Amino acid sequence: MDFALTEDQTALKVAARTYLEDTYGFERIAAFADEGENDLAAWPELVRQGWLDPDLGLAELVLLAEEGGRALHPVPWFATAGLALPVYRAAGVEPAGPATLADGSGTCRATRRDDGWRLDGAVQAVLHADVATEIVVAARTPAGVALFGVGRAAASVSACAGIDPLRATSDVALAGAEGRLLAGPPSAAPLLAAIRSRATTLLAGEAIGVADRALAIAVDHAKTRSQFDRPIGSFQAVSQQLADGYAEVELARSLAYRAAAAPSAEAVACAAHAASRAAVSVCETAIQVCGGMGVTWEFPLHRWFRRALWLEAELASGPLEAIAHSLFGEHS
Amino acid sequence: MRLDDSEDQAAFRAGLKAWLAEQLPEATPSAPRAWSADELRAWSKALHAAGYAGLTWPSEHGGRGLSPSYQAIYAEESALAEAPDHAGVIGLGMVGPAIVHYGTDAQKAEHLPRILSGETIFCQGFSEPDAGSDLASVRTRARRVDGGYVVDGEKVWSSYAHLADHCLLLARTDPDAAKHRGLTCFLLDMRAPGVEVRPLRQLSGDTDFNQILLSGVEIPDDRVLGEPGQGWRVALTTLAHERGTFGITLTARLSVQLDRLVKTAKACGADTDPRVRAEIAELYVDLQGLRFTGYRALAAMERTGEPGPESSILKLRWSQANQRVSALALRLLGAGAAADGTDAFWGGYWQHQRLRSRANSIEGGTSEILRGIVAERVLGLPKSR
Repeated sequence: MDFALTEDQTALKVAARTYLEDTYGFERIAAFADEGENDLAAWPELVRQGWLDPDLGLAELVLLAEEGGRALHPVPWFATAGLALPVYRAAGVEPAGPATLADGSGTCRATRRDDGWRLDGAVQAVLHADVATEIVVAARTPAGVALFGVGRAAASVSACAGIDPLRATSDVALAGAEGRLLAGPPSAAPLLAAIRSRATTLLAGEAIGVADRALAIAVDHAKTRSQFDRPIGSFQAVSQQLADGYAEVELARSLAYRAAAAPSAEAVACAAHAASRAAVSVCETAIQVCGGMGVTWEFPLHRWFRRALWLEAELASGPLEAIAHSLFGEHS
Repeated sequence: MRLDDSEDQAAFRAGLKAWLAEQLPEATPSAPRAWSADELRAWSKALHAAGYAGLTWPSEHGGRGLSPSYQAIYAEESALAEAPDHAGVIGLGMVGPAIVHYGTDAQKAEHLPRILSGETIFCQGFSEPDAGSDLASVRTRARRVDGGYVVDGEKVWSSYAHLADHCLLLARTDPDAAKHRGLTCFLLDMRAPGVEVRPLRQLSGDTDFNQILLSGVEIPDDRVLGEPGQGWRVALTTLAHERGTFGITLTARLSVQLDRLVKTAKACGADTDPRVRAEIAELYVDLQGLRFTGYRALAAMERTGEPGPESSILKLRWSQANQRVSALALRLLGAGAAADGTDAFWGGYWQHQRLRSRANSIEGGTSEILRGIVAERVLGLPKSR
């Protein structure tokens, strides 16, 4: 057993952190968030740096997701690499640009026409559908669920308001939209399930990054902010909260890395629960430690708190009951 | 990043599991058995005979020279099998390594083989009534006399002192020196005149710990471990070894407790209550978090010789989780929680655990001290006073 990052993994993590720290300062992140925009201009650079390389394993992807969460990386990388890419890889093609996945397996149907497939239906709250070059849509066919690539222009995309402006979602409506078949039945359904597990693991990694950064901001504040002629970090009422935050981050980090190294339903559920809990609770601790500053719009913490709340909404429903299932058997 | 054993480790684990299964009775679903002092000593001898004592000790001192991951496998499997501690756990885990590091050739020859074989049991005489968390304020006084020292004072919280043949004693030899500098470590013979051991009864009724009263105890010079005045460094070395794979032992024990909690919930018909299910699932997540954090710390120790910084939270969070397990178990028993002993569920096992676990966040470093260590040494926050 050697449950530590390899040298290559450490190098990847360091390179990602350096790039993100150099590229996205607090002001820049705030500007993207206030405009509800993504840094699409940076996409080619990301591809060049290998963030979508086929040789990245789940462990490497989790590390990139962690660094992405730490920086609030304002690009549709998660939607592309986490959700859509496995479908393109299964089809043996590359996405043309940023992509996302709309799971319309319950609401969309695909019909075979002479000139190809036509899709009808609607999917709500599709992540980054507004900036995706192509939306991968899961739709029913007479033979079962299949996955299609739909150009954004062929879909009707309307933006929704969200708690995290850097994670914009849109409702997608399809009325006879042309789709290219990427994965047909019977492989599409298990592929969708595998994507859900992979996406959950990546978001757990991201949540660790969010918690880690919030803790770092608070520790930095506690070292430099003075009250009663002493840095507030020298008060135990402050330092002990931060120590508890550190514990929360590290336990969750171990579970996210473990889910990446040896994915199983149980491992993914543990990671999802611990990481989203850590993200929310450490952001709250950090805001508390930063006091009046912490609750202002200008202070950067709320950007991470919003991401933590978004992650909690994505991750928190389900894992505990899944774990209880495995401990107790079926709920009767 | 890999989570499976290497071929050698897998073989070691399989052999150990088979050996434990052969030596130990089947674990009971309820209360584990109690071990008498004689049984503990016999167990220590059996471990030595089977080659499971001193796994990480250098082979020149009779150990097997294995890496910490083998000690971790031993810690995990023996806890899961509910094997008792080696009665010499303090000698093996802490005093032995300190003697390897600081001992004279004569001290090594006298103590190391006997610690390994279980023939000599060590206890640790560090804490005092006024020096618990603040170990540097030790007051037990060792007065210089011709050829040695005369010691007077009182030690508390010494596990195994009632069985011990020797004690690694920390005493003040220079009252005028700075707090950390005036201390010296001794290898005290517990049968020396003037040494008295009294069991310390805890709120649970257990007597895991002892008081050691020292009055006019003579210790010859050749019993000083390390240089006089260097006791603080020797003490830190032994405490560093305590942290090694201890987190993995604690986690494996917590896993056994959680299994019992699940069985208790089923027995009480609470296993269909969604709140109980969620609470136990959350404890399971905490357990797994501790487990894999222990493995990460171990991987760091394999590479650098020191456990990683994340190891500093294991005991802190273990104590919280262990306390929550027994608290929930008693709540599951409802009004039955007021009973105890033979009138209670599983003979009062959970009542006892609930009382005993209250000490978890105090013994072996209080939670406040552990958070202080994280704040200052890991997060780099300014020192608090």
